[in-house]
Amino acid sequence: MEPKDEEIMKQQREIEKEVCDSTPLVSEKISLSCLRTEYMGDDVFSAKIQDLLKKYKFIRRTRPDGNCFFRAFAYSYLEYLITNYTAYQEFRKLAESSKDKLVELGFPRFTLEDFHETFMEVIKRVDPDCTGAEGSEKLQNELHQIFNEQGYSDYVVVYLRLITSGKLQEEAEFYQNFIEGSFTIEEFRHQEVEPMYKESDHIHIIALCTAIGAGVRVEYLDRGEGSTVKAHDFPEGSEPKVYLIYRPGHYDILYPN
Amino acid sequence: MSTPARRRLMRDFKRLQEDPPTGVSGAPTDNNIMIWNAVIFGPHDTPFEDGTFKLTIEFTEEYPNKPPTVRFVSKVFHPNVYADGGICLDILQNRWSPTYDVSAILTSIQSLLSDPNPNSPANSNAAQLYKENRREYEKRVKACVEQSFID
Repeated sequence: MEPKDEEIMKQQREIEKEVCDSTPLVSEKISLSCLRTEYMGDDVFSAKIQDLLKKYKFIRRTRPDGNCFFRAFAYSYLEYLITNYTAYQEFRKLAESSKDKLVELGFPRFTLEDFHETFMEVIKRVDPDCTGAEGSEKLQNELHQIFNEQGYSDYVVVYLRLITSGKLQEEAEFYQNFIEGSFTIEEFRHQEVEPMYKESDHIHIIALCTAIGAGVRVEYLDRGEGSTVKAHDFPEGSEPKVYLIYRPGHYDILYPN
Repeated sequence: MSTPARRRLMRDFKRLQEDPPTGVSGAPTDNNIMIWNAVIFGPHDTPFEDGTFKLTIEFTEEYPNKPPTVRFVSKVFHPNVYADGGICLDILQNRWSPTYDVSAILTSIQSLLSDPNPNSPANSNAAQLYKENRREYEKRVKACVEQSFID
């Protein structure tokens, strides 16, 4: 007899639990040179890490649970916003109005409200205007704490997934071109975007960055040719506010020099 | 202690009471909001008509980021229901979205009763009869409808 879906899911849950117990949702800032030890003896990666070290000093790891892109993006973008009040206010306005937009696109209002409320609560908790002089360090701690609290952290991820899904629907004709195989946009959204723990691809990144209006630079540490790390900016030509490193299957946050 | 899962389940329950969908009902058990009892009434114009099918829904603290485990307690003869009451339905597995609530889960199961998917069978006998011998299929379904009155 074939294993039932439930049994497969149970097994999956056990694996997830192991990952969960061993890595925080978002780590402290760590020196990027730690990657050298991780890939010791691997010539291709070592050369590329050397190249990466010229541009970046620190890395912040995220839990490899399939949500890493969304979690890394949200953390890093909010980290930027708490130091830039104008951008923070603009983003807060965009976030506030995003709910009505998603309802208009056909998302169920009732459940959407739950995620939106929590999302807004997180944004308000890191309001740069409310801290006074000792400011940014306190906000930084607050942000770090929020993102390591599973409930809040996951709700932020869910809401970003919904924004991404909404963007795909809004510009379905355009995004259809990025989808491989016989998926329709509708199927892709329900199967690959909205469910938690589904990994992100270029299409997720482009849709989210465009919807939010935030530039992201991704550095690809992979087995591609050459001894330099290739970077890609999303959306193309934008000025990056968020820096991520991609290693096959996983995103972490980078800090430029 | 109020966790996101518990808070959300209270909201789900409130919504189910204020705006109940036709033909389904559900409520948390007396002392545990993480375990619910539910009933789905067999949809009209299907062989399940008049049946009252009981289910249990078990949530984890990861709800609504992960789907609950839903199981029929009543015996249900259906291509996508396992012998132990487990349900093979995509939105309860790989197509789960955190935007679904209890109301959406129950109405999806209700429509599964009307529209079985014999291509991913949990009960191969039911799937085969559904495809090849609809009369016998309906007879077997009606037997479990009658059984559902007694349970």
